[in-house]
Amino acid sequence: MLMEARNQIRVTRQSIQYALQREMLNKFTFVSNILFMIMNNACFIVQWLILYSLKDDVGGYTFKQVILLWGMASFTYGISRFFFRDSFELSETINSGKLDNYLVQPKNVLIQCITSSVEVSAIGDLIYGIIMLCLFEFSIKNLLLFLLCGVLGAFTIVSIAVIVASLSFWFGRTEVVANTVNGLMINFATYPEGIFKGFIKILFYTILPLGITAYVPIQVISHFEWIHILYLGIGTILFVTAAFLFFYRGLKRYSSSNLMNARI
Amino acid sequence: MAVITVENLSKNFKVKVKEKGLKGSFKSFVKPKYNIIKAVKNISFEVEKGEMIAFIGPNGAGKSTSIKMMTGILFPDSGKIDVLGYDPTKNRRKLAYEIGCVFGQKEQLWTHLTPYDNFKFFGAIYDIPGKQVEKKIEELRELFELEEFMNTPVRNLSLGQRIRCEIVASLIHEPKVLFLDEPTIGLDPVVKEKIRTLIKRMNKEYKTTVVLTSHDVSDIEKLCKRVIIVNKGQIVLDDTMENLKYHYLNKKIIDAKMKEKVNLDSVEGINILKDKDYNLKLEVDLKKKSISDAIKLLNPDNMIDINISNVPLEQIISEIYKDGDK
Repeated sequence: MLMEARNQIRVTRQSIQYALQREMLNKFTFVSNILFMIMNNACFIVQWLILYSLKDDVGGYTFKQVILLWGMASFTYGISRFFFRDSFELSETINSGKLDNYLVQPKNVLIQCITSSVEVSAIGDLIYGIIMLCLFEFSIKNLLLFLLCGVLGAFTIVSIAVIVASLSFWFGRTEVVANTVNGLMINFATYPEGIFKGFIKILFYTILPLGITAYVPIQVISHFEWIHILYLGIGTILFVTAAFLFFYRGLKRYSSSNLMNARI
Repeated sequence: MAVITVENLSKNFKVKVKEKGLKGSFKSFVKPKYNIIKAVKNISFEVEKGEMIAFIGPNGAGKSTSIKMMTGILFPDSGKIDVLGYDPTKNRRKLAYEIGCVFGQKEQLWTHLTPYDNFKFFGAIYDIPGKQVEKKIEELRELFELEEFMNTPVRNLSLGQRIRCEIVASLIHEPKVLFLDEPTIGLDPVVKEKIRTLIKRMNKEYKTTVVLTSHDVSDIEKLCKRVIIVNKGQIVLDDTMENLKYHYLNKKIIDAKMKEKVNLDSVEGINILKDKDYNLKLEVDLKKKSISDAIKLLNPDNMIDINISNVPLEQIISEIYKDGDK
């Protein structure tokens, strides 16, 4: 079991490394994608600066906390898009029969499939997140908590993407649903928690777990409590387990295809 | 000893039926109708160790679906599959260590990497230690003659070179069974011949069992000793290549160049395929007329040249497909 896990990690590492090598073939595109993503994220600081010049508090968050929320969201999103990019394309992969190549290999199909390409602009998100932390709330402890929350949040985002994409096994083309849910997961993660009330808030702590990807991590960094870490850990495990269960249940219904395709 | 046993295997696909036009799309949206396509119907067969079998049939016959079930890609609706002692639906990962797959229509190599890097990656996938994979790459490099493009990115290789690399990638872990799904699709005749020679050499060297699907009759004729023909999801013939030719080759083709015209219009057992100037092409039904009788009718003294050949295998197979359609 341990050996199997070690071998899986080795192959996944190599797969990500090769995917990165592929993206680095074009130096200009590689560098510009990263820089423009940092700039794109930075633009939103202006929007919040204007808002906070009019008000001291938005949804219970100070300016610092909102920027930290942005940093957290972009870091979490960056990890998920960089390391697990294909989880966001999984619906298309299932519908076009591209799982065949992974199914004949003796490794975990889901992991192999979602780690076979990387998104370069996500490196910009990762860098932006770290910069925001360093500028507004830096300490070694906060950095470690930031990294831990980022990884847990990314696992949760990827799990949601896999669960929604796995619907394709039952309902065919579900790309639009998948894109919408994935969009909601990132868009709402950049607004202060306090502006959402009632049912929406329940939603964010259950089936659309922004609590795990954004709100609780901000609480962890602002006012550390072990109970928050426990919530994040248990929540992440539940979502990851659900993603594997959904995917493998659906895989039994996989119908492949004879479309020509290449690994490019 | 059988390495593959398939018993009463069936697989259906549910396909949405849509009438033509926008109206049809609306109808289908409101009240969708489905057709059940029986892709594979109750097929059974066995493959012995070291055998090279051809699994052939027209498009949509169910051959790829059958192969995909044997490799664990698709789950069957009913029936049993045993490949090297594993049930692909339950032990897909364990089975994957023992089999290799090449899908002519689907590339599995990273195109920006060199064949060497790709082979190393496949070595990691199959948990082969570094030194062992190096040794295997070296061995296969020689066998498949890859020297000249071993360090060229795959995207810059010709189709024939790529297919060779695909086959090598599928052999890195020394599979006991190799599934080749149309490995020569899109290749020119010279490259096809080369691939065939290499597959033959591999089968001889490693005793690998090969299950091949192809629409190219030459692939089948030159590589396989046994042929399974499927049509409409059912096996319509499972026999040795020798038997196939013996039983179905009850016709011969005579090409003759004559000095004078010969009239064979109403002769039983002889079908005139071509009669132009002094060139004659006949199909002789050996059940009704022997070759020597046919030659006597032509009169050897009246002949300038003669060539007697078998009916092309392609034609035989087409006729079996047609019989299956009836």
